[in-house]
Amino acid sequence: MKRPVAVVGVGQTHHTTRRADVSIAGLVREAVDAALRDAGLEHKDIDAVVIGKAPDMLEGVAQPEQYLAGAVGAHMKPLLRVHTAGSVGASTALTAVTHVASGLYDRVLTVAFEKQSEGNAMWALSPNMPFTPPLVAGAGGFFAPYCRAYISKTKCPPHIGPMVAANARDNATRNEYAHLREPMTVDDVMNSPMLWDPIRFGETCPSSDGAIALVIANEATAKKGPRKPAWIKSGYSYAEAMWVPGRDQVSPRAGQVCSKAVYDAAGITDPWNQIDVAEIYVPFAWFEPMWLENLGFCGVGEGWKIVDRGEQKFGAHLPINPSGGVLCTNPIGASGMIRLGEAALQVMGRAGAHQVEGAKTALGHAYGGGAQYFAMWLVSSEQ
Amino acid sequence: MNLRNVAVVGFAQLPVVARDEHRISTEMLYPVVRQALADCGVQRDDIDYQIAGSVDYMDGRPFGFVAALDVMGSWPPRQDLHLEMDGSFCAYYAWLRMQAGDCNTALVVGHGKTSEGEPDRVMNLQLDPYYQAAIGLDPTSTAALQASAYMARTGASDADLAAVAARNRAAGARNPENQLRDATSAAELQKTPWKVEPLRAGYLPPVGETATCLILAAEGKAEKLCDRPAWIQGVDHRTEMQTIGARDLSRSASTKLAAEKALAMADVASAREVDLVELFASSPAEELIVCDALGLDAKASQPVINPSGGALCANPIMSTGLIRLGEVFRQLSGRAGARAVPNARRAIAHATQGHCLQHNLLWVLGSERRWS
Repeated sequence: MKRPVAVVGVGQTHHTTRRADVSIAGLVREAVDAALRDAGLEHKDIDAVVIGKAPDMLEGVAQPEQYLAGAVGAHMKPLLRVHTAGSVGASTALTAVTHVASGLYDRVLTVAFEKQSEGNAMWALSPNMPFTPPLVAGAGGFFAPYCRAYISKTKCPPHIGPMVAANARDNATRNEYAHLREPMTVDDVMNSPMLWDPIRFGETCPSSDGAIALVIANEATAKKGPRKPAWIKSGYSYAEAMWVPGRDQVSPRAGQVCSKAVYDAAGITDPWNQIDVAEIYVPFAWFEPMWLENLGFCGVGEGWKIVDRGEQKFGAHLPINPSGGVLCTNPIGASGMIRLGEAALQVMGRAGAHQVEGAKTALGHAYGGGAQYFAMWLVSSEQ
Repeated sequence: MNLRNVAVVGFAQLPVVARDEHRISTEMLYPVVRQALADCGVQRDDIDYQIAGSVDYMDGRPFGFVAALDVMGSWPPRQDLHLEMDGSFCAYYAWLRMQAGDCNTALVVGHGKTSEGEPDRVMNLQLDPYYQAAIGLDPTSTAALQASAYMARTGASDADLAAVAARNRAAGARNPENQLRDATSAAELQKTPWKVEPLRAGYLPPVGETATCLILAAEGKAEKLCDRPAWIQGVDHRTEMQTIGARDLSRSASTKLAAEKALAMADVASAREVDLVELFASSPAEELIVCDALGLDAKASQPVINPSGGALCANPIMSTGLIRLGEVFRQLSGRAGARAVPNARRAIAHATQGHCLQHNLLWVLGSERRWS
């Protein structure tokens, strides 16, 4: 970072299947109000707003940032709208970071949301691509072959996905904002219906209504308080083309390049030992071992062994998704920002019952598209 | 505050047409990306950052922008972003990244194949889904409400609107990229039927499509990529709340504020001091309202307003704003052909989004660097 940039406020809604009591604007406003309260700031203190969400078809409002401009307090302010598929929540927060890093803005509000109950995600996520037979299978149908490829490539045993899913649910019991908080055993997951082989019902993220907002600020604001900030050591978003012969969808190069850029800029040389906690984007259980490898926490074929040994559980060597992650909460457009916000809460020491003890360095990660878009940041309790 | 000098060093677009019958969106985008790079004499690997502007709803499918990754040359992986906004807003963010020191060069694209859908119905869906979209307002109707508000406040007449449209059409005839290239008199335009009163069919652009690519570079790189870079001297953008009934539609407060900020950054006292302005106004009333906010007299000869013919002669959604910036680059770098404004040294490019000029972006560019 050319200039120090920090997270000074985090606010999120309780995530759930259907928030029939509020409009889209009302949902977003809850998160915005919570983040401003958390930062001890008011709308008049905010210089610009950055909004992110996944495809507009999920709610049926085109470019909804125009309709939401008033609700997020952007009247007469600069406003940008980001959309980078599933990674959007993370890339949106990074867009706000650039605003502050440029020196032109001191305090930027960034907000991401999805109100999936307004539409039908299966329909909205089943694009009809030129020259490609329509799958009409949503994101699960799209990503199942990637998971199968991982299993076949690494000899990952069949109980790994269920272990990831059961652990995520266990984590979510400690997160009051999570959508799915009912515990599930490995057997429960194993016995749940197969949706898209190898992805079972129990290994699948829910459709959620929810929003999150962060206040990103300069050094002077961060030092003023009222709370201990999370310092953003580095953040990048990378994307790669779809149709590249030999492209590895299981461990995409953009994810490797992006994480390396984030680690290099933050001085991380041994992520497995230097990072205390990570919130990574796992919409289907099998992606947890896949991303452990892609993010350089271990070698190829070692990710599932980490899960098998339980080294990524809450209280273990490197807790992954202590919030319960995307598997328990998925307001799609917000999910990436929730990862980054949860990482920030951990290094602020304010993650509540799912606080990782002594967390100083945390990674927040999201991906999207056909595993093409990656956005991550590394946050620290120290400037 | 001393900022980094950043310049527009290249711009390419396809001529705007009602429907490109033979190409899908990415096939339209590919040649303009290649042309913009070739004009700068660089390879794709020489560009640090890429950003695209498009709207899923205009493409008629989710993730329409993902396919653009391939034609933008996203291999090996690139630092990338996509905004659900006109390409001019994407250029703004690329400029911001250069201010943050995150990159030195950027590829900015705008794309949208409007002929695949019904833009009027799509743009209705931009409105508040509970109260305003449901009553069926389309962008022509909201533009007509705004035109009526302006005419009621200022006393502007149908003839005034026709004069603005005729001036744009006359200028537009000199621009080979335009969809409408026939000069038409104000009297002829005034005979065209109402689309929605007080806007006549002859006052509004047809729906068009294109693809656009602009290249930005910071000082040190810019001079190597272009013989006459167009330097960014000031920029700002502001939005307003959408609620149509809660805004004074006869004025554009966000344009006024953005212009004040951009001109102050450029150290230019008034918009009247520039040689030309390229406005994204898709009706004559919008042009008058934006001129009003900029303190310009739409009938004066200085600065020249819309030498390209403006958005009234070509309005390809997601690119119209970026074309304004591209046109200013062409003017300042000696690439404007028959529509060149003699001795143009400083210019304003405007972009807007949303119903009734909700969100406005103002660029001030010049042939000289702003900061030493």
